[in-house]
Amino acid sequence: MPHPIPRRALLGTAAALGLSAPALGQRRSAAASVTSAVYPGAWEEAFREHVAPPLKRAHNVDLELQPLFAVDQVAKFAASRGAPPFDCFVLDPGPRITAIERGMFERFDAAKLGNRAQLPPGTADEWGVGCAAQVVGIAYNPKKVPKPGGYADLLRDPWVSRLGITGFGTTFGTISLIELAKAFGGSETNIEPALAELKKALPRIAAVGAPAAMPGLFQQGQCDVMYTNTQTVTTLRDRGVDIEFAVPSTGASTFFTTLHIAKGSENPEAAYRYVETVVSRPVQQALMGAPFNFVPVNREVPLDPGLPMRSLDDMARFNTHDWSKINPLRGGWIERFNREMAR
Amino acid sequence: MPLRGGRGLGRSDLAGHAGASAAASGSTSGWNGPQCLGDGQNCRRGVQSRRLAIFLQARARGTGVAYPPTATEGTGLLERAFADTAAATSRGHTLDVLGLTVRYGGFTALDAVDLSVRAGEVLALLGPSGCGKTTLLRSVAGFVRPAAGRVLIDGAAVDMLPPNRRRVGIVFQNYALFPHMTVADNVAYGPRARGEPRARVSARVAELLEMVQLSPLRDRRPRQLSGGQQQRVALARALATEPSILLLDEPFAALDRSLRLDMQIEVKRLQRGLGLTAILVTHDQDEAMSVADRIAVMRGGRIEQLGTPVEVYDRPRTPFVAGFIGTTNRLPCTVRTAAPGEATLSLPGGAELSVPLDAAPPPPPGPALLILRPEALTLHDEAAPGRFPVELGLAVPLGGQTVREARAVDGTPLRLTEPRQGAIRDLGARAWCGLAPGARPVIFPPNEEA
Amino acid sequence: MTNKAAPWALAAPLGLAYAAFFVAPLLMLLAVSFHTDERMTAFGLDQWRRFLFDSFHWKVVADTLLLGLKTVAATLLLAVPLALAWRAASPFWQRALLFVVIMPLLTSVVVRTFAWIVILGREGLVNQLVLGLGLAADPLRLLQTELGLVISLTQIEMPLLLLPLLSVMARIDPNLVDASASLGASPWRTLFRVLLPLAASGLAAGCLLVFASSTTAFISQSVIGGGRLVYLPAMVWQQAMVVANWPFAATAAVALLLSVSAVIAVIAHAGRLAAGHAGATAHG
Repeated sequence: MPHPIPRRALLGTAAALGLSAPALGQRRSAAASVTSAVYPGAWEEAFREHVAPPLKRAHNVDLELQPLFAVDQVAKFAASRGAPPFDCFVLDPGPRITAIERGMFERFDAAKLGNRAQLPPGTADEWGVGCAAQVVGIAYNPKKVPKPGGYADLLRDPWVSRLGITGFGTTFGTISLIELAKAFGGSETNIEPALAELKKALPRIAAVGAPAAMPGLFQQGQCDVMYTNTQTVTTLRDRGVDIEFAVPSTGASTFFTTLHIAKGSENPEAAYRYVETVVSRPVQQALMGAPFNFVPVNREVPLDPGLPMRSLDDMARFNTHDWSKINPLRGGWIERFNREMAR
Repeated sequence: MPLRGGRGLGRSDLAGHAGASAAASGSTSGWNGPQCLGDGQNCRRGVQSRRLAIFLQARARGTGVAYPPTATEGTGLLERAFADTAAATSRGHTLDVLGLTVRYGGFTALDAVDLSVRAGEVLALLGPSGCGKTTLLRSVAGFVRPAAGRVLIDGAAVDMLPPNRRRVGIVFQNYALFPHMTVADNVAYGPRARGEPRARVSARVAELLEMVQLSPLRDRRPRQLSGGQQQRVALARALATEPSILLLDEPFAALDRSLRLDMQIEVKRLQRGLGLTAILVTHDQDEAMSVADRIAVMRGGRIEQLGTPVEVYDRPRTPFVAGFIGTTNRLPCTVRTAAPGEATLSLPGGAELSVPLDAAPPPPPGPALLILRPEALTLHDEAAPGRFPVELGLAVPLGGQTVREARAVDGTPLRLTEPRQGAIRDLGARAWCGLAPGARPVIFPPNEEA
Repeated sequence: MTNKAAPWALAAPLGLAYAAFFVAPLLMLLAVSFHTDERMTAFGLDQWRRFLFDSFHWKVVADTLLLGLKTVAATLLLAVPLALAWRAASPFWQRALLFVVIMPLLTSVVVRTFAWIVILGREGLVNQLVLGLGLAADPLRLLQTELGLVISLTQIEMPLLLLPLLSVMARIDPNLVDASASLGASPWRTLFRVLLPLAASGLAAGCLLVFASSTTAFISQSVIGGGRLVYLPAMVWQQAMVVANWPFAATAAVALLLSVSAVIAVIAHAGRLAAGHAGATAHG
């Protein structure tokens, strides 16, 4: 789950306060160990359970996990000045661009991965490799509303009065709003049409929620249609909620959460073994299962039938976005959203 | 201490104050005047207020130091003033309690109690803890809802009224002064709650503080006062609402022994001076004797005996009453002959004793219990008819008396008092005990429980 | 002075701990807010200018403080009758009531917050009741409204007010209430002139806690309040964790700290005044 869970809000604030304090948990530099940052919560749990044991078994590498939000990973690395606090980052596209711009990654050589061939083209680049995909589209309650055709439908009857929206706080929220903007003539760098249409529809919209609250709002029937990722749909369906994923007429969107090797890492070899283990078939298979419901990046993993593609190669047709353009604008968009939506 | 002119307060000061208050309450009476036409209750209040002013005036002139036992006996200014006002009103308020029953769960705290309190009298409810005296007081105040029975003030039922509409003043054992208010605000609380006009309230507060001699401390908080001062504030606060009935719940229990007597006298003085009807709850028989006009001795939720202090002391109706009031000697005996006016008893050891009898009918011949007060016995150093032998124990001086312990031949412990002049009489180890002249012993059936 | 040295020495470890873990981070937070750029390379007043010269931010500050005041008012309105009921209750019911009051403290904020979604939601308990009784034709909108947020915060923060209030109430002499009644005061007068003034210290302490807690209740605010109600904590979160603009996040955080502290100072002062009237421990 790349969107942050507010439960960790205090932790996050505490981390913010500790900005210029020297990194307390200096990693051990034993040869056969690797320290990786990981998102707190489900990600940390998944990696502890499904990545650490095979890594130790196959390569005799000890995995130490540091639960940190993307922002904290970047900040902690920046504060460490040359002695990286961890060997690997795990980041969403936005923070990934920030870290690239600030020179926080070692160059990544995908050829060093033994299972390189199992990954679809485009999964890896010179900076890192995708370790989980997200497929973003529209979720709806088939018992309450008909299947929506695309983003433009969201603001029409009968969906608009049952619509739950969330802002630019998450990656999936940001790209959904961009897609919505595109449906009304906007673009990746122009979300104004989306805001204008939302503002018009606002009195009828069922819920404007915090990202973490959306699954709960849907489950409780506060809203019956929302843009979200397949992970949320699968999780809710597993809980018995009436929910279906609809691929918008303009196509589903996708992005990777990526692993990167930190600049100055003293254990690049162990780091490559770690990355190789994460993208390996058995690990990806395990992460696709409940309760994590990740979208795998390894072609050899048979896809869950609930996913809107038959193979990973189908995903090449999905919409992707250029976060080097989005990043500089996003702060302003967040503020615009606050202002336009505020009562 | 408050009775002797106050500390640091000159008489002239007092006179000045009292003059002002008298003027203020004069106008108060005037304010009340028109209502007297149709409203006896208010009329009485006006009278009471006027009485207070007169009382103050009199005291400020140094004439009101002795309290008048009745309105007609008095000779001083105050007494004459009371005689005047007595003509204008019936004498204070009456309280009647009819068949009052209070139960807490399965426990009967009051068992069909009947009680009448006369206007202007102090009635003490006396008894051990748990006897129901506090419950009776709280029922009158309205804090306790009785299971049955009625409470009447001046013949009108008040038992359906909440406490705040009963016009009953109460002084608590711990005084229950509002700790967040000044002395003056405490006293003003009642009049303000009744919505009296501001000027009238402040005049009343000034009068009452003057009366209890706390004017200089009017801006203090209760915690900054001594126990006696707090008690006087509590009294002034209760009187400020011009209550029909004043309830005193063990008001002296928290005071030092020396202060207690002063306060008892002062309370009695105020009560008499204002013509208040009051109920005093106490477990202290001396307090009941000294303050009350009548005493109701309670036991197990019932009134065991109701009478004047002298009656209750001299003519206890039950051994319990006898035991609870004063020190009692209980001698097992046998009634030989009994005629109206006199009975002949034989005591263990063979002595024959003839005792005067007040009560008719005379006790039946046979075993009985002779109850004697310590002062009803005298000691002699030789045997004679009507005397019985005792072994003497400790003798201690108590003020002007000697208190002696003794033991009858059958082992019954006795306590005797006799006037002491100079050193304690040395009687040796053995003596003979007889009835003091004029003593009125009481005879009960032998197995009546104490 | 030598006498005072020992207590100071005893207090030193705690004092140092406070300095290290409380004062120092606060100063750092303040320092961060005076950086001009996101990467914190230069000092300047830009963030403060951006925050202060924007009426939207002032509205957010006002909304945040108002939310706190409304929650305090609602909590007071419920806590005082509860405390009075507790006073009148038998020991068994006192214990039962206390347990019910403390229970929210025993569950996590997240659970409590999501429970309120279940209660206030479109298909939640309240709406089922309202629709079932035919009181309204359409479901009421409670979730994602300030009303719903205040309702849930009231329950969530209730123990913070009730516990200090009960501990003060328990110390009030019951005779004072009887005395007030016997002096002719109505129950209302007794409440406002005797009970509440004597409970002022507990009330003030409770209000203070509720205010501080509800203005900073990030989770409840964002989950129950939703995206249309913008409060300072959510702004701090967005700026710090999403936009990664720490200087601006720090500015908003300091603004939150200052504005909440200002109101707290007023409440505390009012409490001291009332308690000074009521307490009378010292010279009055």
